[in-house]
Amino acid sequence: MIDVVDVWKSYKSGTRTLDALRGVSCTIEKGRFAFIVGPSGSGKSTLLYLLGAVDRPSRGRILVEGRDLTAMSEAEQNDYRRDTVGFIFQSFNLISNLSAVENVLIPFMPRGVTAEQRARAVDLLKRVGLGDRLDHHPYQLSGGEQQRVAIARALVKQPLVVLADEPTGELDSKTGDEIYRILRSLQESLETTLVVVTHDRRFITPQDLVLEIQDGLLADDAEPAAGFATGLHAAD
Amino acid sequence: MGVFAWRNLLTRPMRTLLALIGLSIPILGVLGLFSLSDGLRNMVGDTLSQIEGVIVLRENTPSPVASTLSIGVVDKIRAVPGVRAVAPEVWGIAPNIEGQGMLMRAAGNLMSKKGAGSIWDQPVISGQDYPTHKDLKSAVFPRALKERGEGRFLDERDVGKSSIVISRKIARNFPNDKGEPRKVGDRLLVGEEDCEIVGIYETGSMLLDVVVVMDIQTARRILKMPVETVSSIYVEAQTPPGYQAVCAAIEAAEPGVSARSMNEVQANFGMLMGQVDKVLMMIVSLALLVGVVGIVNTMLMSTTERFVEFGVLRTNGWSQANVLGLVTLESAYLGLLAGVSGCVLAWLGTLVANQFVGGGLRLGVSPFSLLLGLGLSVATGVLGGLYPAWRAARMVPMEAIRLGSH
Ligand SMILES: Nc1ncnc2c1ncn2[C@@H]1O[C@H](COP(=O)(O)OP(=O)(O)O)[C@@H](O)[C@H]1O
Ligand SMILES: [Mg+2]
Repeated sequence: MIDVVDVWKSYKSGTRTLDALRGVSCTIEKGRFAFIVGPSGSGKSTLLYLLGAVDRPSRGRILVEGRDLTAMSEAEQNDYRRDTVGFIFQSFNLISNLSAVENVLIPFMPRGVTAEQRARAVDLLKRVGLGDRLDHHPYQLSGGEQQRVAIARALVKQPLVVLADEPTGELDSKTGDEIYRILRSLQESLETTLVVVTHDRRFITPQDLVLEIQDGLLADDAEPAAGFATGLHAAD
Repeated sequence: MGVFAWRNLLTRPMRTLLALIGLSIPILGVLGLFSLSDGLRNMVGDTLSQIEGVIVLRENTPSPVASTLSIGVVDKIRAVPGVRAVAPEVWGIAPNIEGQGMLMRAAGNLMSKKGAGSIWDQPVISGQDYPTHKDLKSAVFPRALKERGEGRFLDERDVGKSSIVISRKIARNFPNDKGEPRKVGDRLLVGEEDCEIVGIYETGSMLLDVVVVMDIQTARRILKMPVETVSSIYVEAQTPPGYQAVCAAIEAAEPGVSARSMNEVQANFGMLMGQVDKVLMMIVSLALLVGVVGIVNTMLMSTTERFVEFGVLRTNGWSQANVLGLVTLESAYLGLLAGVSGCVLAWLGTLVANQFVGGGLRLGVSPFSLLLGLGLSVATGVLGGLYPAWRAARMVPMEAIRLGSH
């Protein structure tokens, strides 16, 4: 379970201070598929990366399975990112000098990859349909295939939470459908909590949690039904 | 992680190559200079260790060849207490041998592919006064002849005659009509004097193996030196008071001369080489500094391009230390590569140089200096990589991710 308690995030640019988040509170239950939606610049990515302990909030607390991210030391945050949370980015962010399997194994690389971890990586790549692409490098893969490698990389650590920032933003709609199909099927079998930033409401289903964010604040009616309802109108 | 670092280097082969050249040249320079200074040290050390006595020269002259003393000095030195034997000598650059000047011969050698001769091969004449030289215990050439040579050394039969003792090297350098080395009993034309070779010696020192030994009167004739002069005087001391004291006594008895025991020359030479080494160290440090700057530049370029990549690594649990380690490893590899190529170049270089220098100056790269070269270049690589690595590690992952997502 993720608990966000009155989180503020300010950026200082010169003399001006910009409040990207202005007191956000929410709860995401374990195993939920949650969406963060809202206009561009509303603070979606900021909130997502705070959940991943990539940055620290200016105020407030974030609890993941009872552990306070904001109270963690640098080293504890590193461990958290390595073991507990998986990231998927809009622009895939695979490392060009590494093959598909090696990209999946990045989290384990500094400590040495075990045979068990390698087997798990291969298995995940097979499950996302890349069994025959294990040793291909990113430039030999299409956008959709690269994003599937990124999904495998996020899941290889068997994370409690997977965070995705506009994972289909750079893909055509057919490939986007494919990515969501994979995300949903993997989430069901692995029981991970998924938090996805998107502005494409096509992929939201009635059971999902929708967090509407606007100007750094959550909309009051952030209910599943409401999210689904708005999703019927907005499409791009 | 090692493989990863290695691949990151190879991704930009041109840049890696340039950085490599930038660092391997200083390493090559370091090894080359040390090899040269070692070579000089060995060559001169070889020579000095064979000469035990005191050499008396005109003050401020660098070598017997350039010195002249009046014959009267010999008796004054003989009167100095503690002196055991006093042997006057005449020294000079040999005029044409077999009608060949040095330049002619060098050119001829080049043509006939015998390898270039060098200034080290220029023959030198030493005229010895038999009645006094026979009393010497530490004379170099008779000993070298007895140990590794053939024929006989000069004796009373040769006084005033044109008998000569030459080195094996000279015998080789001036072959007979059939191209064979000269043998004992052959004749050799020194200047206009038709000389008979009575003995052949070999010292192994390239500075000594160029000497044509003959009687002092014959030498004066060939070198056109006045009868009343000598070049240098070789002196042996009695055990007490020893060489140091005798040198001082000689210089006191005869102002205008300098008396050097070989121990002293060796010590001076050691000090000189110490100074040379200090200068070398300075050049080396400068060269390495340039190498470090090159590595810093290369690694800064490479890390700046890869900020997003480091952000991705950080979001996957890599610590700052891990990123620092990765980048430092890359530059250490770069240093290692540069070290290996520098060492190979230096080794090849000494092989080539030895073809041209010839004689007793043998250049070589010792295992120690190879290790030193490798160590230095790896250290340079690590040092040059530290700042770029620190910059890469310190970067906030959030900002790197943002860079990558727009
Ligand atoms: N590092 C930063 N420095 C200054 N302003 C930032 C920084 N990161 C984000 N912002 C600002 O915070 C606001 C929210 O950004 P973001 O969370 O990326 O929005 P979204 O993902 O919803 O488009 C934007 O106005 C953005 O310009
Ligand atoms: Mg965003």
